[in-house]
Amino acid sequence: MVARTGPVRRDGETDREDEISTDDLLSATSDATLAARAADGDTRSFELLARRHGPLMRVVAGRLLASDADADDVVQDAFLTAWHRLADLDDPARLRSWLLRIVSNKSIDRLRSRREHDDVDEARQAATTPAPDDVVEARLQLDAVWRAVDRLPLQQRRCWLLRETAGWSYAEIAEALDLTPSTVRGQLARARRFLLVEMEGWR
Amino acid sequence: MTPPDDASAVPDGPRPSPDDLVDGVPLEELVDYLDRGREPRDPRIEGSPACRLALQALQRVSELTLESLQHEADRDPGRDDRWISGLMGTIAREVVDGRAVPLAAPAPGVGTALTKAAVRGLLRRAGDAVDGVLVTATELVGDVTVPEAPVTVRLAVTVRYGVPLADLADALRVAVTAALARHTELNVVAVDVTIADVVPPAEEPGGAR
Repeated sequence: MVARTGPVRRDGETDREDEISTDDLLSATSDATLAARAADGDTRSFELLARRHGPLMRVVAGRLLASDADADDVVQDAFLTAWHRLADLDDPARLRSWLLRIVSNKSIDRLRSRREHDDVDEARQAATTPAPDDVVEARLQLDAVWRAVDRLPLQQRRCWLLRETAGWSYAEIAEALDLTPSTVRGQLARARRFLLVEMEGWR
Repeated sequence: MTPPDDASAVPDGPRPSPDDLVDGVPLEELVDYLDRGREPRDPRIEGSPACRLALQALQRVSELTLESLQHEADRDPGRDDRWISGLMGTIAREVVDGRAVPLAAPAPGVGTALTKAAVRGLLRRAGDAVDGVLVTATELVGDVTVPEAPVTVRLAVTVRYGVPLADLADALRVAVTAALARHTELNVVAVDVTIADVVPPAEEPGGAR
């Protein structure tokens, strides 16, 4: 039997301190390490991953669904799936793409279950708040890109985001949205052309 | 710089047409070429400054799309608290790994067991308590369901840069062995420590994104 010496925690006493220094180390830690810990059952590491990547996932879901309320549900569901399937993630360094994939899948599932209400969303205006005057140019540029993406007609925006953020193939997008692959190609071409023209004004 | 903010100009067009040529190359073809990672190298495209510019613009528009979404996501840091706490609540109610590790019965006929997940949690906490160490992964090798069966503990750890590794491995072995001896009946014959990652000493949140 080994003596209880050195740095071993005495029950309860040093708890608080340890938590703080561990949290420090945790938040400085790479996705890969956090994902490995989370796959091992550590919920704290998983929560840090959710905080690190969740906001982007929520925004992507919100733009695909054209609904911020549904986005919260979908992103929560997506992260629960991610928690269950962490063992399947073969390259933890590619965590973000993997999460984007799950979130977009969940968004499409949600879309399928409420497809008939889609045309209502189409009229929805951009939900963004105007940027204050004193922000730096880079922020203005990103705001402008955001608004441009938001102004894309819903179908084009969905095709664009599935392709550009989650890396879906034309065939996958076509199946998900009930379109033909050539329609998807056309929608993507329009979205791209619009964004390229807009981008001229961003530079 | 003034951002375009005329939201009324909803773009149904401009329609892509066969005129979408860059130096005689259809834009679509440039997109496919970019998707293939510019492989195999196409001298007709790479040899044309206009095509190279167009490729650059296409790449930029892709990057900016994701950047702008991230930018929007970062706008309101408290925005995600609610769904994240819902998520963590759901996860906390789930059993991660229910395999039982036996404990000595306090009295004949009374069975007590820890789950394997609980033992792993114990290993993580014991390891994390060593200064400058973060346990990355844990593994119990051996049949943990049989009392007295030899068990090897494997730990992969992330360490802070500058911590002497030999001392650290010893401290880890002591900490882990002690924790298991106190809380379990496992017959630990070895503790293997692997350094999986080294992180900078200063606080640098973000990691790999």
